[in-house]
Amino acid sequence: MSSFNIHGVSVSNGIAIGKALLISNALLEVVHYQLEIDEAPIEIKRLSQAINDVKKDLLKIKKQLQKDSSEEFSAFIDTHLMILSDKNFSEKSKKIISKDNCNAEWALKKQMDFFINKFEKIEDEYIKERKNDVIQVVERILKVLLGHPKQANQINSESSTILVAHDISPADALQFKKHQYAAFITDMGGSTSHTAILARSLNIPSIVALQNARSLIQNNEQIIVDGNQGIVIINPSQDILEEYQVRQNLWEIEQKKLSKIKNIQCKTLNDQKIELLANIEVPGDITSVKQNKASGIGLFRTEFLFMNRKELPNEEEQFEIYKSIAKSMRNKTVVIRTLDSGADKLTSADTTISSNPALGLRAIRLCLSEPQLFNIQLRAILRASKFGMVKILIPMLSSLSELRQTKLLIQRAKKSLSNDKILYDDNIKIGGMIEVPAVAINAEAFAQELDFLSIGTNDLIQYTLAIDRTDDRVSHLYNSLHPAILKLINTTIKAGKKYNKEVSICGEMAGDSKLTKLLLGMGLRYFSMHPSRILSVKKQVLNSNTQKLESAAAKILKTKESEYIETLIHKINQ
Amino acid sequence: MIKKKIKIINKLGLHARASSKLTKLALTFKSEIFLIQDDAKANAKSIMEVLMLAASKNTIILLEASGSDEKKAILDIENLINNYFGEGE
Repeated sequence: MSSFNIHGVSVSNGIAIGKALLISNALLEVVHYQLEIDEAPIEIKRLSQAINDVKKDLLKIKKQLQKDSSEEFSAFIDTHLMILSDKNFSEKSKKIISKDNCNAEWALKKQMDFFINKFEKIEDEYIKERKNDVIQVVERILKVLLGHPKQANQINSESSTILVAHDISPADALQFKKHQYAAFITDMGGSTSHTAILARSLNIPSIVALQNARSLIQNNEQIIVDGNQGIVIINPSQDILEEYQVRQNLWEIEQKKLSKIKNIQCKTLNDQKIELLANIEVPGDITSVKQNKASGIGLFRTEFLFMNRKELPNEEEQFEIYKSIAKSMRNKTVVIRTLDSGADKLTSADTTISSNPALGLRAIRLCLSEPQLFNIQLRAILRASKFGMVKILIPMLSSLSELRQTKLLIQRAKKSLSNDKILYDDNIKIGGMIEVPAVAINAEAFAQELDFLSIGTNDLIQYTLAIDRTDDRVSHLYNSLHPAILKLINTTIKAGKKYNKEVSICGEMAGDSKLTKLLLGMGLRYFSMHPSRILSVKKQVLNSNTQKLESAAAKILKTKESEYIETLIHKINQ
Repeated sequence: MIKKKIKIINKLGLHARASSKLTKLALTFKSEIFLIQDDAKANAKSIMEVLMLAASKNTIILLEASGSDEKKAILDIENLINNYFGEGE
């Protein structure tokens, strides 16, 4: 058993050590075989039995659901139940068994392919999407047919179990909630996937987008999930294992220590007040925002509202969510970023795949090209502004004309609300994301026309260094300490200072406690990060003196090599 | 047998939730019920067939029912469709 590592995207922090439990992707395991004469009736009976079992399972899940009262999930399950009961589905599969004399799994898959083919030809995107429901139902039946034991029986209570799956569906997510897993890792997914949301709500480490973890990892193999770095280590050597046991302990001790500084006011040794805000993706994240005593929400990503669903959210639905967040934060800042995804994430938009999505029609570009969709979101945000300290943040600006056009649309949305006699905060602050290098270079022009600036370092680095972080072959070139990056951040902070506008960083750099002192020295006063990072950054802030850090930061900004920059940062952190 | 032409008026047409509501309702009747659109004929009691009809907004479909409760079947289904499937738009 050789040891190896896989890298993915960490969506929930922490360290877990345990045994792998593989959740199968049953479709990949279907084989075709011919039946002996007279075996067809047995095979048909086996299929009927499996369909019945799945029906019972789903009914059971549905019953539990009603207590959790999640309407969306319940509708999913209803559709699945109806597909199961549909004669077109079960009877036709049975006919295939007797006609082709093949096994039940194969017949089921054949019938599924028939439906998928038909769905593919449908032009209506909403209905086309339903093929996924058919696939999920078939998966469930296949798992029963293939004799995959139920998850609950596999849990070994003595050692911790790490769930390894291709992807986690919403129905699975609900079931997994009841078991005590130590970590989740999946091949697919992103930070707003069901896996991510589930892991964060359970406060266990999780890594997604591992590509082929499920095929590389064997059941019961020992694995380490390092959710702090996005690394999975399979079959660790004794040394590594011991190292990680120590790290796991240290991490837990550190968490306990950090919780002691929660209630201390966040200011530096020279009495400079620093705002540590939270980045959130779903309303459920509010719990950890409050636990970590964030001074507000510096970035609410609204993409989740538009993803994993068949219909675009209407104004009312968006309003209710924005309102609930604004209300629960009371008079603290809530920065709502308008839609920041590409057209590919929107179910209604036509799915032309651009060859270079990061540079394509996305974020504010998409919103300006779909003014109706944008208007719905703007109206919802404006309406919510009556219930708290709401601000609007515009992603991916690249020119002043885009900014002006956006402000015009905000003006129009305000006017339409006034016409409808609906209240909103007329003084709502409008900020822009600084993530396109052209805008950072020109930050002064944007600072004059915006109320606040927010530097999205992840994209800024990607665009400045021309590096796709998700491409393994070049990801090592991604470097937040490249002198050019520091220069762009510095230019932006200075521009904000000149025009007296707040500047924050809401990318990963803000949550990296190694960089806190450098950024403080550069003049940054607003940091927005994943809620779990707040306390470790706060610890740095409490031990800093911004006046003293200024000269150290100035020296770093003059440095030409990243390696030397790292040495200098190490020095100021001591 | 009763036949009746009905226009689909809700915004999203016979999408998933609407289809499952329609199928659920159809299953409560003894009559045989079909939805006919051009040359495609879907058994209203089969969610797959209803879905694959892919009837979008403003499509006119022919509703056909035959059986002891055909009258009520047509009436109730017509009501569901004209009520935007209870979705408000």
